[in-house]
Amino acid sequence: MRAFNLINLFLIILLLTGICLAEELTVTSSLRDVQDRCLEIVQIMDEKDSLKDMDIVLAVDNLEYNWNKNESALCCMVNHKNIQEIGQEISKMKMYVANDDRDAFKVSLEALKLYCHSYLHFMGANLHNIL
Amino acid sequence: MLTIIFRSILIYFIVLLVYRLMGKRQIGQMQPFELVLTLIIADLATIPMAEVSVPVLHGIVPLLTLVVVHFMLTLITMTSQSVSKLISGKPTIVINPKGIDYKAMKKLSLTTDDIFAALRECGYFNISQIQYAIMETNGKLSVMPKADFSPPTNKELNLSADESFLPIILVSEGKILKENIVLAGYDNQQVEDLIKQQGGDKLKNVLILTVDKMGQGYLQMIEKEGKCFQTKRLVPHESL
Repeated sequence: MRAFNLINLFLIILLLTGICLAEELTVTSSLRDVQDRCLEIVQIMDEKDSLKDMDIVLAVDNLEYNWNKNESALCCMVNHKNIQEIGQEISKMKMYVANDDRDAFKVSLEALKLYCHSYLHFMGANLHNIL
Repeated sequence: MLTIIFRSILIYFIVLLVYRLMGKRQIGQMQPFELVLTLIIADLATIPMAEVSVPVLHGIVPLLTLVVVHFMLTLITMTSQSVSKLISGKPTIVINPKGIDYKAMKKLSLTTDDIFAALRECGYFNISQIQYAIMETNGKLSVMPKADFSPPTNKELNLSADESFLPIILVSEGKILKENIVLAGYDNQQVEDLIKQQGGDKLKNVLILTVDKMGQGYLQMIEKEGKCFQTKRLVPHESL
């Protein structure tokens, strides 16, 4: 019985470690990807006069495509409510691109970076989060 | 809504698995740390069940973490007496030959009503019948009656009595229990023959059929009176 328990214990710890690692890797890579793409959009935006420029449109489309691809995997691990703002902001950004509303686009971009940054901070195991 | 249904089924089986992993002791005799665990598990399981935006993993991970903590705590309490005392407490004598131990009663936050209720549950209605009563760590009272009030044993009465043996259930509600008939050294045909010998008709009408090591059996057909019988055939000793 005791051996059986120890085997179970080992398997459960292994499973928990696997889940934690998978969460860490998936969430970090997805959010870092969004952050990197945001920085890339900022760089492109600085070089262009209009948001309707093809490079910006493509960059935002790529951002949306990659986010949609990662979101389903993230929803298995994090509360959907915590990450839905990212999808909403990307939708708004597409609208601002269509309207060439540069100021609102910048605000959305900053909000997006903030969401990613705060969620990355929120998901890590540190004393602040534990307490 | 379908998601909630599937999630509820999934979480139900996970909680069932968690309780199975923690052992049968969990259900009947809970130590303080096991009670805490049960309360937390009940709460944890409902969150991902009802809230669709919360991933099922948010319910599974804390449940499994608690199982790990429980295993570890159990292992520690099994190996260390002092930790066991710290976590589960120790049995306390609440009634001794002098009567109720007032200090112990207050230490356990008990009232005399609680003690009397527990004594009545044990079948004793008068405190003068009690030699010792011990409050166990799981909150149950163990009672040792005074010699005058304890039921006499066969040994004390110098009576000889046959040992009783565990009966093996061969048929339950019309179904032959294959593992048990092998254990008893029977086969399907022999079971059916036994039913007929004892006045039964069809196998499907048998409510219960048992035999023990000494060949004593019990047969009850559905909606009929049960009867004891004796077969010549003994169940192999190594079976029980």
